Amino acid sequence: MKAPYEYPFDPPSEDAVAMRDGAIEGRTAGSPDAYDAGESARWSPKAIADVHAMAQLGRYQLRGYNTFSRRMPSFDDLVFVPATMTRLPLEGYRESCETATVLGDRPGLVSEPLRLDIPIYIASMSFGALSANAKAALGYGASRVGTMTCTGEGGMLEDEREASTTLVYQMTPSRYMLDLEHLRMADAIELAVGQGAKPGTGGVLLGMKVSERVARMRSLPVGVDQRSTVRHPDFLGADDLQVKIEELREATGYRVPIFLKMGATRPRYDVAIAAKAGADVIVVDGAEGGTGASPELLLDHTGIPTVSAIRAAREALDECGMSGKVSLVAAGGIRSGTDAAKCLALGADAVMVGTAALMALGCNSPRYLADYETLGTSPGRCHHCHTGLCPVGITTQEPHLEERLDVPGAAERVARFLTAMTMEITLLAKSCGKSSVHNLEVEDLRALSLEASAFTGVRLAGIDRPFTW
Amino acid sequence: MSATDRANRIELQAADRPIREVNDEIRAALADGREVLVRDARSRHNLGVGLPSASRVRFEGSVGYYCGGLNDGAMIEIERNAGWGVGEAMARGEIVVGGYAGMAAGASMRGGLLHIRGDAGPRCGVAMKGGDIIVEGRIGYLSGFMAHAGRLIALGGAGEACADSLWGGEVWLAGPAESLGVDARIEEPGAEEVESVEALLASRGLGDSGRDWRKVVSEQRLWHFESRDAKAWLMI
Ligand SMILES: Cc1cc2nc3c(=O)[nH]c(=O)nc-3n(C[C@H](O)[C@H](O)[C@H](O)COP(=O)(O)O)c2cc1C
Ligand code: SF4
Repeated sequence: MKAPYEYPFDPPSEDAVAMRDGAIEGRTAGSPDAYDAGESARWSPKAIADVHAMAQLGRYQLRGYNTFSRRMPSFDDLVFVPATMTRLPLEGYRESCETATVLGDRPGLVSEPLRLDIPIYIASMSFGALSANAKAALGYGASRVGTMTCTGEGGMLEDEREASTTLVYQMTPSRYMLDLEHLRMADAIELAVGQGAKPGTGGVLLGMKVSERVARMRSLPVGVDQRSTVRHPDFLGADDLQVKIEELREATGYRVPIFLKMGATRPRYDVAIAAKAGADVIVVDGAEGGTGASPELLLDHTGIPTVSAIRAAREALDECGMSGKVSLVAAGGIRSGTDAAKCLALGADAVMVGTAALMALGCNSPRYLADYETLGTSPGRCHHCHTGLCPVGITTQEPHLEERLDVPGAAERVARFLTAMTMEITLLAKSCGKSSVHNLEVEDLRALSLEASAFTGVRLAGIDRPFTW
Repeated sequence: MSATDRANRIELQAADRPIREVNDEIRAALADGREVLVRDARSRHNLGVGLPSASRVRFEGSVGYYCGGLNDGAMIEIERNAGWGVGEAMARGEIVVGGYAGMAAGASMRGGLLHIRGDAGPRCGVAMKGGDIIVEGRIGYLSGFMAHAGRLIALGGAGEACADSLWGGEVWLAGPAESLGVDARIEEPGAEEVESVEALLASRGLGDSGRDWRKVVSEQRLWHFESRDAKAWLMI
């Protein structure tokens, strides 16, 4: 047997082994830094705070705004590859680019398809979630630039009908204030089976926002925490939906398009089924989509990202021969014309914005700082729509807050924002050599990450091949 | 031509004709101030949707889904049975079903009267927001689910989970309920209320002072989202 190695010096004393020279007494393991920071990847400050909240409330937390999850891929993972040698660009500052957008053009089924001047419109956000002033301002702003708004779940508000030259009437499972006259006053009808922020779960409107007017429209007691059904009361599956769509056509004389709005979960199948059931326009709302109030876990852990849903939805329509017959609208997390242009290139016929439109109204703008502070937040970080105490008068039913939203000024901001978004889209489209924004195509995009390529089938930058397994 | 004119009444056939054509003919006749008799309704869906007030339509045979849906004041009579969602979202008017009604009869209706002579399927009066539903027979499970307002009156009792999660409104039972739903409770009706219900029934030829009424209303525990309600909401 080999003899154990011996140092050529005397074994050191324990005192010599211990780190001296200013080391912290009694702390033999790890650097003082790691102890002090105390950071666990699992037990992040948020995870700890969540347990504390649940332990005190005895329920999950609800909030407005949208997901804070950092795991969502972003539109920023895609870039355009404009015309260079293989294609010819259009003059960005001179040549024109068509932005007109037609939705629900189904001869024989729809006699008055929607004709919008731009490929962007305002998403369904209920009166209740939003103040009447916010609804009116969105309506006037959209009308100004030739596009439309949607009622959302709480019934048709007169202020909005008056403001919006084109208005989609939403029918949610709760059917608040569903009225034949309102259906007939609408320019389209949207059956909602879900939304991106909380697919598979019904709407929520906490009592602070169930004011007298809201309660009257929804036939609810004033101040109740309204939690709506998720299943429609009178249809369950796709076959019934088909009959329901026919009923709506009968009720409105085959005049207006029927939309079907869904949260993005299994778009490849869901979109095919919706098309088969007879929807004229299918709205796919990704997981990043905004909300007035939702259980927070649903924001972060349900549904798939918008970028990944659009390709699947478009391929589904292609596969069942419905592209060109059924229109596809994408939504969820769209912040700019750049994001919108990417949606069009991925296969959407139009996009819908909620949160971005609220920002244009003034959401998170640095005013009324004391009121942000009361909510425990600050401009840029506010996500307190569910409380009904919106500092800038958008997501509130409190008269003193609502009056902070000046309708004409806010309407003009919405109009200018939508105009600027449209300019962004046309600038990109022209650089890609397109004389219509609807000619943007997947080939105009490249992916900056394997993930984005894998989700969308968009070719990876440089190597020019989509990631495949 | 399928329509036969007799005095002030027009008769037409549903049978297997395009439903749009049948409904167009019904609407045209009603606009003319005529009554309409639809023969051979053949369980077709979407018959008589969104009809106007002061009009009268009778369907011979049975009808499919959403008959009289979004009714805006018409008097509609269905000779035999009705499929799902008969009278759904009715605002005003009257619909009589001679036989049985399928699921979700009177779903989210806001006014008017829906009178079903036989039994009604599950979720009768679901999400209703006003008006009256009379069911001479029994109402199926989850009837009155999340109703807001109005009266759902069942002479033959109710299936499971009756009046589940009511916001408001009343379910009147003259027979037993298999079980009450979440957040529903039975309340002793006041004499005046009973009188009002009996008067409505008497006006339909269903007068009978000997009924033992149970009135189901909301317990209002689910009106507010607090932890003490968590069990009721089946969250834990
Ligand atoms: C304040 C607010 C209220 C909303 N209310 C509704 C609603 O009533 N019905 C509905 O289908 N979606 C509703 N949504 C979702 C939007 O229609 C849309 O799907 C979503 O906002 C799109 O994502 P974005 O906000 O990132 O643009 C709401 C969203 C917000 C921000
Ligand atoms: S500013 Fe108003 S609309 Fe914006 S996040 Fe805060 S509460 Fe919501």
